[in-house]
Amino acid sequence: MAAQNDEDLALSRRAAAGDSAAFAALVKRYERPLRAFLVRMGAVEIADDIAQDAFLKAWRAAGQYDGSARYSTWLTSIAWRCRLDELRRRPQPAPQADLRENPNAAEVSDMLARLSENERASLVLCDGHGWTHQEAAELLGLPLGTLKSTVARAKAKCREMWSGTGDD
Amino acid sequence: MTDEFDDFLAQALAPPERDADRAFVARVQSQIRLDEHLRAERRRMLSMLAIQVLGIAAIAAAVFWLLRSPEIAEFAADSPAILLTMLLAAFSFAVLLFSTGPSPGRSRASFSIA
Repeated sequence: MAAQNDEDLALSRRAAAGDSAAFAALVKRYERPLRAFLVRMGAVEIADDIAQDAFLKAWRAAGQYDGSARYSTWLTSIAWRCRLDELRRRPQPAPQADLRENPNAAEVSDMLARLSENERASLVLCDGHGWTHQEAAELLGLPLGTLKSTVARAKAKCREMWSGTGDD
Repeated sequence: MTDEFDDFLAQALAPPERDADRAFVARVQSQIRLDEHLRAERRRMLSMLAIQVLGIAAIAAAVFWLLRSPEIAEFAADSPAILLTMLLAAFSFAVLLFSTGPSPGRSRASFSIA
């Protein structure tokens, strides 16, 4: 993990110096998890627009990445702010299933659609993307304890829906 | 049941296993090139604007200085129409000079999005 961080830091520094090939390597490495996260948070078309916007901002701010956090965490925090800006401009579409990439997508998207914004984001990041609670708490601007209870609540709601004992 | 659900959830929420999306990477690179081009163009326009403002200020100062001399003041009092014509001609010349500076279209024409 530390080696990956060092490599990302080196690539980011090269990008800050104007090396677009180094930045392309970062885009190749992180477009998959970033877009997957954004797809889980909203419509597929908007997710790609936000991801592109986030990468462009990451390119402009490449010199600000200091390696203290994982590159994916830093990048996702940029994308999260882009998403919040986008939501202020456009009404939020319901999360959609991307059946090409995951056969369970429809069922899970249906579950996620019933969660609040923070519940959805914290569950996807912590249970799906392997983020620590601390990382997710920083991204969402929540106290650590609140984040932990948000994840637990989201998971309990999903479990209830999955076992078929939900309201509908 | 808990284990089964946890496995299901983790698997369903995990990013999909696939190769990098080359088309997406190319789109981002293209957007970055366009952004860099626009920023360079903006810098160039600002520096041109600064030069032009300085030029106009210099001309205005020169005209003001000339008008303060007694000979010019006397000439202006005698024939204001001629003086006005001369000032307009000088102004037209300055506008012509600035407008024939380096064209922004030249660099734009050489730029293409890959």
